[in-house]
Amino acid sequence: MKNEKTEILKDWRLHVIALILVGITEAVGQFSFKVGSGVILLLPMLYAFFMGLGLYFSPLVKEKQAKNAEPLIILGVTLLIAKIGVTIGPQIEALIAAGPALLLQELGNLGTIFFALPIAVLLGFKRESIGMTHSVAREPNVGLIMNKFGFDSPEGRGVMAIYIFGTVFGAVFLGLISGFLATITPLHPLSFAMASGVGSGSMMAAASGSLIGLFPELESQIVAFAGASNLISLSTGLYVSIFIGLPLTEKLYSIMMRRKEKKAAGAGKGGDMNV
Amino acid sequence: MFKNIIEWFLILLVFGLSAIVGNWVGYDVVPSAAIPGMLVLILISVVGLVLEKVVPVNIPSVGYIGLIGILISIPWFPGSEYVVRWTSEINILALATPILAYAGISIGKNWADFSKLGWRSIIVAIFVFFGTFIGSAVIAEIILRMQGII
Repeated sequence: MKNEKTEILKDWRLHVIALILVGITEAVGQFSFKVGSGVILLLPMLYAFFMGLGLYFSPLVKEKQAKNAEPLIILGVTLLIAKIGVTIGPQIEALIAAGPALLLQELGNLGTIFFALPIAVLLGFKRESIGMTHSVAREPNVGLIMNKFGFDSPEGRGVMAIYIFGTVFGAVFLGLISGFLATITPLHPLSFAMASGVGSGSMMAAASGSLIGLFPELESQIVAFAGASNLISLSTGLYVSIFIGLPLTEKLYSIMMRRKEKKAAGAGKGGDMNV
Repeated sequence: MFKNIIEWFLILLVFGLSAIVGNWVGYDVVPSAAIPGMLVLILISVVGLVLEKVVPVNIPSVGYIGLIGILISIPWFPGSEYVVRWTSEINILALATPILAYAGISIGKNWADFSKLGWRSIIVAIFVFFGTFIGSAVIAEIILRMQGII
């Protein structure tokens, strides 16, 4: 364990590549373009992500660098959380005033069930859809599903599919849609700031980063609301899933499947619609 | 433990160096102005990491780190004005860029798994992330409006 850390520290190739990526992408700066009345904002962090990903497939980055990069993400996120903490402190009163909204918007994470479960069932997924749509499938939720259904269960495969998508594209996807939705919908940027705290540091950074880029006058409020919401998600998210999210998903799934079976039976020939 | 602390500190310093360069190139903050704030953030992180190891309760380090950051920057905390002034020189986007740079480098490992996902899984995943984001935003909007905050 100790030798590993020294090795990570001495992986100068990794750190020089990261430093160069940061220098180039920050020098390029942000771009935005309009899609209808919405704005899509491209931030240096998005270019850095895709350039890093591209380098993985080049001889410059080897398996070793990819492995050593992982603890730097985790430690980088601790600095991000520290920065969020010191941004929240001076605004603690505003945050306490917004407490009810901060706590209740956690339940909005259940929105994933109402939006995604019908789509999953419609696309022909069976019990996989329970693992897929009960949450955004971050580590605690992967643990929950594996614990309850087992690694090789349909639910387990479902949660892993969303986990992999989220790991690879979660931050990029949220970064792109948060700015777009904040400019195209009548909802307030601070509501989206609260929504940015989905329980993952990098996803929150990307989602709230787009909001900061578009509404710089609200910067410290956006950081405070997004950060507080993320801390609440981290600490309560799993329990919301255990007591509400997962039972609700299972209940809705069985209702949907019953209805689907009835329809199939009513149409005369059923049973082969998912083949 | 002592060796752990030194290693955390040094790794955070390496990360912080990238962030300081990004903060300079992208947000025009010269390194000499950014260094005190970065050191404060690194110290908060190290204390949080140590607490996670030392305290026998199962709380992740980011929980401690967020709380320490809040505590030392609350107006009535002695010296909080320095903490706030120094750390305000560190742009949050300048911290996010190196995180995603390292993430991009590391995530190539997951590419093989990702390319095995079918298009149906990807569509469901998009709705999962969209659903949680818009769901939270709508509830936040309703409550913040009811309270008259926005």
